[in-house]
Amino acid sequence: MKIFSHIQGDKVIWAVVALLALFSFLPVYSASSNLVYVVGNGTTMGHLVKHGLLLFLGFGIIYGVHKIPAHYFKGLSIIAMPVVLALLVYTLAQGTTIGGANASRWIRLPLVGITFQTSTLASVVLMVYIARYLSKIKEKEITFKESILPLWSPVFLIVMLILPANFSTAAILFFMVLVLCFLGGYPVKYLTGVVGIGLLGLLLFVLVAKAAPDLFPNRVDTWMNRLESFWDPADTEADYQIEKAKIAIASGGLVGNGAGKSVMKNFLPQSSSDFIYAIIVEEYGLIGGFSLMFVYMLLLFRIVVVANANTSVFGKLLVVGVGLPIVFQALINMAVAVELFPVTGQTLPLISSGGTSIWMTCLAIGIVLSASRKNEQAEEQKEIDENNPLEVLSGQL
Amino acid sequence: MAFNPKHILTRLYLVSGTMFLFAGLVLFKLVSIQMVQGDKYKELALERTEKMFTIPPNRGNLYSDDGSLLATSVSKYSIRFDAVTVKDEDFKKLVGPLSKELGRLLNKPASHFEQLLRKAKAQKNRYALIARNLDYSEYMSVKGFPLFNLGPYRGGLIVDQKTVREHPLGKIAERSVGYERFDENGYATRVGLEGAFGEYLRGKEGKRLKQKIAKGQWKPIGLDNIIEPQDGYDVISTIDINIQDIAHHGLLKQLEKYKADHGCVIVMETHTGEIKAISNLGRTEEGKYYERLNYAVGESHEPGSTFKLMSLVAALEDQVVDTNTVIDTEKGRWRLYDRVVRDSKHGGYGEITVSEAFEVSSNTAFAKMIHNGYKNDPQAFVNRLRQMGLHEELGLPIKGEGRPVIRNPGDKGWSGISLAWMSHGYEVSLTPLQILAFYNAIANDGQLLRPRLIKEVKEWNSTIQKFEKEVINPMICSEETVRKVQQLLKNVVEKEHGTGHRLYTSDFSMAGKTGTAQKNYVGKDPDKLKYISTFAGYFPADDPKYSCIVIIHEPDKSVGYYGADVSGPVFKSIAQKIYANNPMVDEVADLDPFNEALEDAYESYFEEVQKDLQTIPDLKGMSGMDAVSILENLGLQVEVRGNGKVKKQSVSQGTRLNQVTKIILELS
Repeated sequence: MKIFSHIQGDKVIWAVVALLALFSFLPVYSASSNLVYVVGNGTTMGHLVKHGLLLFLGFGIIYGVHKIPAHYFKGLSIIAMPVVLALLVYTLAQGTTIGGANASRWIRLPLVGITFQTSTLASVVLMVYIARYLSKIKEKEITFKESILPLWSPVFLIVMLILPANFSTAAILFFMVLVLCFLGGYPVKYLTGVVGIGLLGLLLFVLVAKAAPDLFPNRVDTWMNRLESFWDPADTEADYQIEKAKIAIASGGLVGNGAGKSVMKNFLPQSSSDFIYAIIVEEYGLIGGFSLMFVYMLLLFRIVVVANANTSVFGKLLVVGVGLPIVFQALINMAVAVELFPVTGQTLPLISSGGTSIWMTCLAIGIVLSASRKNEQAEEQKEIDENNPLEVLSGQL
Repeated sequence: MAFNPKHILTRLYLVSGTMFLFAGLVLFKLVSIQMVQGDKYKELALERTEKMFTIPPNRGNLYSDDGSLLATSVSKYSIRFDAVTVKDEDFKKLVGPLSKELGRLLNKPASHFEQLLRKAKAQKNRYALIARNLDYSEYMSVKGFPLFNLGPYRGGLIVDQKTVREHPLGKIAERSVGYERFDENGYATRVGLEGAFGEYLRGKEGKRLKQKIAKGQWKPIGLDNIIEPQDGYDVISTIDINIQDIAHHGLLKQLEKYKADHGCVIVMETHTGEIKAISNLGRTEEGKYYERLNYAVGESHEPGSTFKLMSLVAALEDQVVDTNTVIDTEKGRWRLYDRVVRDSKHGGYGEITVSEAFEVSSNTAFAKMIHNGYKNDPQAFVNRLRQMGLHEELGLPIKGEGRPVIRNPGDKGWSGISLAWMSHGYEVSLTPLQILAFYNAIANDGQLLRPRLIKEVKEWNSTIQKFEKEVINPMICSEETVRKVQQLLKNVVEKEHGTGHRLYTSDFSMAGKTGTAQKNYVGKDPDKLKYISTFAGYFPADDPKYSCIVIIHEPDKSVGYYGADVSGPVFKSIAQKIYANNPMVDEVADLDPFNEALEDAYESYFEEVQKDLQTIPDLKGMSGMDAVSILENLGLQVEVRGNGKVKKQSVSQGTRLNQVTKIILELS
């Protein structure tokens, strides 16, 4: 097989990604009929073709990224950091609103006219950056003070920039950073302190937003509503969505209604992204729901295996840092559909027709595959390649 | 920090293990939603997303006997405007043209609509009324107007369709045509023919299962309706719109003239019992008259002198009297116990026969005749009346028929004077239609027919059910009695002393009986005393085609109240107009004998004209006039010399037409 000679890295991860991508056409196509009817944009075939194109480019990204030697990402993360920060500031500044609340999550790419969610790119870059930092300090005994500037200042800066428009992404990112730091051996006592600071900062933000709602655009009210509706048994808008999702799950049964036969997709506003898992269960039943979960768990398993096999500390942390968030996000999405978690705007990675978020997932997958490729080929590369100018750059920081 | 890569793995196992657990929790919740809450949510799913819709059937049409529409269902449209959904720039640009078009269509100034639309926009009104009760073609043109042609979402056009029952005849027979209404609880109010024949007209509702989709729309499930709706049948009634029209306007004119409270007219076909016209008019507070209540069917009251026919038939049947029995009218006053029977003529009529008593409508004569004849056995009189079916309702399909009252001796209200008062139409109660049915039976040689309002039930062109005449009683009395009273009824109009003689005309014959009943007589307060003026009868007198009753309640006493004056003219005008519409066949001897020569000449001319001529025909021997007409029709110029028949033609027979422009005919 000639094609397979070009692709390298963990074959199971390739297979899992391909499987998810292929399967994703079904729910996306099913959901598109409602999008076309209600929102009135495009045609059903148009949505399908667009999704196909996004996936095709996504696989291009995976292929391209997985050819890059893993240690290159150290330097790349440092170069990308200021770019990402600039993009985030720009995104927040343009002030797109949803129903009067700030929801500036996207920027429009010039020339191609595709919207792009900068926070997802920032997440990947930040995770790589932290993996690099943790691998660098692995031998040292560091104090909290020492880590503030190189570690926590970029973390808080990025999280703060994402927070006003997208609480859940910011929170998940912050949580994943903590998990990565925990895995990377960063002292746990410091981590608790950081969590405290984070919560304090969030409280401050909420209070300021409540006290002076006009000071800056924010979505504090939306978060409050969603949280309240999760705990409050009374009927709310979010309850409406959850009820529809549960109806969808309940009417799916063991084998489901069949592809495209979902009824509830007509009533779930986010049937193609946030609540796609409920629609999948309605159409493909418990079998479909369990299978999908199995595939994600397989991905998690392979990420652990790849991390295990990688010999370098950076490699391990890199795989875990970019790999775990994919599975974590998938779990959050499914948890929302079954009412284990308040309503968030998290898509189901590789399944939802989330536009460019697919590419960021692909970027992460590509990085994981790159790390897996390295140990597959058993290239006992040195930790530091003196010839690499990027490495020199990273060494200075 | 003395870090060992092993630690990474241990911690990674911890983290990924937690995630596996979380995944397990998600799956557990998934199963529990299906298993534990599944039934509840499945039920909710059906409740929220599926609904059985009823499909209303089309109600059938109601026709008159000649196929004219009496009632039909049409769609009416109300136009409303959603000012919020319309974009500001669209509104600004198009409000002017839209107002102009609306103004033109609805005959109102454009500024009226512009103001209305702008106000709606300013108030963010999402349901502003623009126009009501538009018909289909108007609705279609409104749909194409500027702004509205952008559709419901951009143009803000909201259309409410409703089906209404239209009566092409307007107010005429409105009450008899009636209606059928259902309130929100499904209780029906059924009035007139619509109510009576609702079961035919209504049709059956269909059912369709639909599933909710987005935007509040419902999508049908499956290919077919669960139950197909079945349209209502058409009902052809017996009403003749021409007679109805005559009856309506005749009654209206008389009610207005006498400022009466209300009145009714019924026209019935003698041999079939078909009701050809039924008109009920009541006075409103403004003094206008409308079809308000179905007096003809529902109002049972003391009939007065028209009941003398029933008394007389009973007396003749029981041979209590004969038509030539002489009765003393006692100077117009006959005391019975503490009450006095009075004749309308002061001083009475002296000694008269029973026939004359009927013709002049003597109360005293009838009171004496019945009282004396039956005082030993009052039950016999009552039994005779009952035998003729007078105590029974006619059993009409229309709801609300008034109950007739014929008391038995010993019943509450029966007294020593009952026989005398019943004889001339008091202490009994009948509806106009019940009285008419009896008169019709006399006209129909004794056969009592049930009045009918329905002729046929149809579905498109095929007959579902036909209704034939229904005989209630094949012979209410002996033929001899029928003959006698027929003659008397005829005399009422024809004889100079008859109460109906004012209606007499030599042009056509009528038979009937007047009645002037008192109303509110109990208090003996002359101001409160009111009259009911009646004329019941049939025409032509010798070979009755139609019977008819006219009853007018509470005419203005200062103008007049006698049955012959108030109700009689309506009867006469109806009879007259029906005669005019049904011309008698008069055979007149053919004054022009058949002329063979003329006929031949015409035939030959006709033959020539019918031919598609390419050549000049042979005209010799044809009359000049015919020849000229043929030639000119062929487009030729004709010059004529002399008179009479064609002797010579300048162009010979068989010449092709296109070679000829002019022809000279010599006649002799």
